Amino acid sequence: MALDSEPPTTDQRASSAALTDRTLAVWEIVSVASSIVIAEWMLAAAAGFSKAIVAIPVGLAVLLILLSQRVRGETLRDIGFRFDNFLRALYLLAAPVFIFAVVCLIIGWRLGSSFDFFRWHPKRYLVWQLALGFLWALVQQYVLQGFINRRAMIVAGRGWQSVLMVAAVFGLLHLPNVWITIITLLAGAIWAAVYQRAPNLFALALSHSVMTWFIVSTLPPSALHHLRVGLGYFF
Amino acid sequence: MNLFSRGMLFQLLIGKSVAEALLVTAVAAGFYLTTTNPNLRGWLDQADKETVSGWAVDDGNATNRVDVQLFIDDRFIEQRSANDFRPDVHQAKRAEDDWHGFVFKTPALPPGEHEARVYAVYRGASATRRTLQIIGKPLRFRINAAPRQ
Repeated sequence: MALDSEPPTTDQRASSAALTDRTLAVWEIVSVASSIVIAEWMLAAAAGFSKAIVAIPVGLAVLLILLSQRVRGETLRDIGFRFDNFLRALYLLAAPVFIFAVVCLIIGWRLGSSFDFFRWHPKRYLVWQLALGFLWALVQQYVLQGFINRRAMIVAGRGWQSVLMVAAVFGLLHLPNVWITIITLLAGAIWAAVYQRAPNLFALALSHSVMTWFIVSTLPPSALHHLRVGLGYFF
Repeated sequence: MNLFSRGMLFQLLIGKSVAEALLVTAVAAGFYLTTTNPNLRGWLDQADKETVSGWAVDDGNATNRVDVQLFIDDRFIEQRSANDFRPDVHQAKRAEDDWHGFVFKTPALPPGEHEARVYAVYRGASATRRTLQIIGKPLRFRINAAPRQ
């Protein structure tokens, strides 16, 4: 009976609060990922609607991210919009990016792909395309690391479990493009691990943009399928 | 995170889930309505080695002649307009005039069992998609081997 039960101890309360925090963090990750899935897979299926309908799930996800960060008291510096650890993050990224570039060159060479470092968007200046790529990468890294990685660390703490969680989310969001899913799974793990040691979104976005440029320039375009993901992959 | 903040986040997550569920439902319903014509009526009356015939009417636009496609054994055979003389359909009050029938000439087929299906073509509001809706039920028919001379 409730009357006979003793009030919860401080330890029990703390444990319960932590559990609720973890549950909320899981729900936040699933919620943002589901918004992206809806946007990716709904775009081509939204017959009769304007394509702008995709702004609804994207807008809801952005609203959730901003309000969650406010509620949790996360500052821009906490999230990774900072420069004090920029060089340290670049240093941590240098070796993986170099290895990645070499692997891309080897795979491309083995598959007989022609290397062309101007084919990302041939109608745009490369510098302009790299700048646009950097901005888009910054948005992706903000969501992936500044939101999902930070929630994954609430769920599983720092370390390989939360790194794998982030990599899995990032990889699965690139289905059904198998090549891009594998690449983003590996790259997602590298970025998540680096972010946990040196949270700097600018360095991550820079490496993201450079890695994308290398992928597009070295791997066969037929395999990459124009980097399309979601339902758009089939059209 | 204090209790108030946690409650606010919880409510936000619930609200977002409900909003997205409604959005997905609306898109699914919209997709169905833009790719399907619920006003199409018709029937596949007969199929044999000579002809495949029936009728098709668009109740939403009764003066319109419905385009129909014949498939035999899942293979496209022919498209034509359902504008043949069928006074019985009009008399049965299924159409507003006598001109909603269709008759396809059955192509040469090998001996054995075959299945005929007729689909109405629906263009919808968007020019980017055309869909097919089956008319009546598929009909099976048999082609006998030619007798030896």
